[in-house]
Amino acid sequence: MFLIIKRLWQVNWAEQWQYRANLIMYLLYWLVSPIIYLAVWTSIANVKGEVNGFTANDFITYYMVLLIVDQITSNIIIHTFAYKIQDGSLSGELIKPIHPMLTNALVNNVAFKMLTIMGLVPIWIILFFLYKPDFSSVSLVGILLAIPAMLLAFFIGYLFSAAITSLAFWTTRVYSIHEFYFALILLFSGQFVPLTLMPQIIQDIAQYLPFQLLIYYPIQLILGRLSVEQIIHGYVMSFVWLGVALLFFNWVWRNGVKRYSAVGA
Amino acid sequence: MYALKLLSAFFKVNVQMALAYRADTIVNILLNLMWLGWELLSLSIIFSNTETLGGWGIGELIALLGVFRLVNTLMIALIWPNTEKFNQSIRDGSMDYTILQPVNSMFLVTFSRITVWRIWDLVLAVILIVIGINMSGDVTSPLQILTFVLLAITGTIVIYSLWIILIALTFWFTKFDNNVTILQALMDAGRYPVTVYPVWLRVIVTFIIPIAVATTIPLQALRGELVSGQVLMYIAISIVSFLVASIVWKAGLKRYSGASS
Repeated sequence: MFLIIKRLWQVNWAEQWQYRANLIMYLLYWLVSPIIYLAVWTSIANVKGEVNGFTANDFITYYMVLLIVDQITSNIIIHTFAYKIQDGSLSGELIKPIHPMLTNALVNNVAFKMLTIMGLVPIWIILFFLYKPDFSSVSLVGILLAIPAMLLAFFIGYLFSAAITSLAFWTTRVYSIHEFYFALILLFSGQFVPLTLMPQIIQDIAQYLPFQLLIYYPIQLILGRLSVEQIIHGYVMSFVWLGVALLFFNWVWRNGVKRYSAVGA
Repeated sequence: MYALKLLSAFFKVNVQMALAYRADTIVNILLNLMWLGWELLSLSIIFSNTETLGGWGIGELIALLGVFRLVNTLMIALIWPNTEKFNQSIRDGSMDYTILQPVNSMFLVTFSRITVWRIWDLVLAVILIVIGINMSGDVTSPLQILTFVLLAITGTIVIYSLWIILIALTFWFTKFDNNVTILQALMDAGRYPVTVYPVWLRVIVTFIIPIAVATTIPLQALRGELVSGQVLMYIAISIVSFLVASIVWKAGLKRYSGASS
């Protein structure tokens, strides 16, 4: 198994590396909106002194940590996999004795992530010198606690996205469904603004959804804003949602593959 | 006239294509409404915490959202689908047929695909602009409205020219599929007035990828903040950028050698 993963890694790393120019474009694309939100909210905080208890520095640290967390927990499986179901090129992968989504596509995603993080580092450093944030609330413990939380979040997000991608077995409109899913993330994950600034009703709903685990919870962990109780609660939620995501993905995948009749077969 | 005839032919073909995928069209319109809801919600969240953003009130930001959606519609209805077709044609060599036509190749590449249902988005954008201006309470004279329309057009021309330059780069770097991603990415910066951005970002979206030229600046005209010299300057910029784009396009075409030869 290790050998398989190693070989998959070599192939996927080489493949992603080949498209590094595209990768930089992706990275830019994805960087822009957090930087815009950062600019909008710091400008408000600078005028008013503080927004609901958030100072300009709070916003800067929030979005700068968000850049890293989002990069780690997000995935691109819809873009690398849905077309394989639609055009039938999945057939070749299905006859291999390894799970297409949980091995090859997963390794591909991680390779993509490693490269984009390499690209993010210099940009992050530039932003650091532009904004000179005060990271005094960040502790080593917070970071160490956040690493497993981010790994869990990545797998939760990955399994949900994989399940949505697998809907391509039924419908060609999987990209529209994914767009809707993406809007939910925007609304409930804290990507637009720290969740406490959202309307109360959205905060209440967010408690029962997995999306805040993807972004808001790891950021709060890193910034050291959570009590012990909240940290434990977050971890419990992460494991529960991981289980739900796993079951959901498995169910969609099994039924989907049964329906699959390769294009042109 | 010949161009108009061609345009209407393209339009008819694209309407037929859209009608073949009716369910998709409906889903897309619903998604579009969803994003409008999100945009208004995000504005209301911002303005529940402040009265002005970069000196602009909520009415002005709604009007700006309208202008932003105008430009964004141009991106989605014309630029995206045609870029996709163009990239494809470079890779498989079908660009040959485009060049062989007795029509300006830039014209063909610009208009051969149109996402027709997006036209309703233009109506929506105009409604947003009208509502926003009414809410803002800015007094607008016919002259201001005229400069607004004029600057919206010149801004659009600037963005269009940039697009042509970006896709023309594909002639040099064959594998450059994300050639317009940077345009689309920075597009989002047009949602807010550039006055809220730090200087470096303002410079990027005004001079390098000039999104603001098509969004913030027309609205500044509507607010009566521009002097006639500035208006003339933007007109001049749009003419120059269009000329530069045509030159780059022609130079790129010369580099094109077909995919199979």
